[in-house]
Amino acid sequence: MSNLQKTTLQLTLIVFTLFLNSCTQEHKSRLEAVNYDQLFNNIKADDGKLYVVNFWATWCRPCMEELPDFLEVNEAYTVNDQYQMILVSLDKSSALQTEVKSVVQTMQIKPDVLLLDDAKRMNEWIPAINNQWSGSIPATALYKNGKQLEFHEGKLTKPELEKLIKKHI
Amino acid sequence: MKNTILALVIVAFASCTNSSSTSEDHTDHADSTTDVQTETAEAPKTGYAIGDEATDFNLPSTTGETISLANYPDAKGFIVIFTCNHCPYAVAYEQRIIDLDAKYAALGYPVIAISPNDTTVVPEDGLASMQTRAEEKGYSFPYVLDEAQDIYPQYGATKTPHIFILNKEDGKNIVKYIGAIDNNYEDATDVTERYVEDAVDALIAGTEIPVTETKAIGCSIKDKREKK
Repeated sequence: MSNLQKTTLQLTLIVFTLFLNSCTQEHKSRLEAVNYDQLFNNIKADDGKLYVVNFWATWCRPCMEELPDFLEVNEAYTVNDQYQMILVSLDKSSALQTEVKSVVQTMQIKPDVLLLDDAKRMNEWIPAINNQWSGSIPATALYKNGKQLEFHEGKLTKPELEKLIKKHI
Repeated sequence: MKNTILALVIVAFASCTNSSSTSEDHTDHADSTTDVQTETAEAPKTGYAIGDEATDFNLPSTTGETISLANYPDAKGFIVIFTCNHCPYAVAYEQRIIDLDAKYAALGYPVIAISPNDTTVVPEDGLASMQTRAEEKGYSFPYVLDEAQDIYPQYGATKTPHIFILNKEDGKNIVKYIGAIDNNYEDATDVTERYVEDAVDALIAGTEIPVTETKAIGCSIKDKREKK
């Protein structure tokens, strides 16, 4: 093997490793801030998947009460590639790397956590998510192929959440 | 050898491209909000709409008085705010609520703050804690407890803070605005829409209220009748 061939091989392997890494990272759960256009791109994808979207915050007592049930239900469905849960945090943007990250770690949250950092446009995105939503949390919405199939303002029990998912998956 | 490596790279690249294509392919959904409600079953909306007559009440305040809208014969209307001690959104607005009363009570539109939560679920929203908060912050307005939790459902408050502006018309308190105080709970210095001030200013000026309903995130009201 010539030097040139060796260099080419080394470079190729490096590039290959980089690609593999980027792929691996994409499958890890996300924790990031998004605006509402970016959020809609995530939850309204036209890909046949059922998106279970829960609006919550670390300071919200009923949200934290229902979260363990959501995580248990997520465990049961996570193998289904036609299903994805997204937890939309309505904490302050400054809490992303502190309170939110801490809850993600201590509760071993596996679904993607997207902090909706768009407080000034609440009056646009709350009615856009659901016209009947007063803005209280928790709230849960189910989407498939860009359409909202269910919307619930308030806590959901584990059987209620399972029933909604079974109805649409 | 070379061909194998090339194939591997192509496979890796292709799989990456596939997994990231979803969000790129559907940017057109960002503003397509009209289909959101189409398949959604909704419970009928309760509470007041703009133009409805609001009920009066007799509720205990942090100063030991019983507060009623009828106690204010000279008021032209009211800024009724469902708020509480514990909710971070409500806390973020405390100073702005004080400022609203300072500005508008003298102009005929005093603030009446009503704490609606079940105090057995949220003890820090009880009357004793409310009294401490009102004293610490120097509330110039009544801070009352909806202890039977029968007032907030009539108004249709669902969260804290939740504001209802009332205007006295022919002896009735008519709902003129429902929603948020402004458009930035996080940062009072970066507010660009002052919904409550704009509404009360319009009432005082006798002009049309520019925005009569707004939505904002808040802490859900904890009700003792709620399923546990």
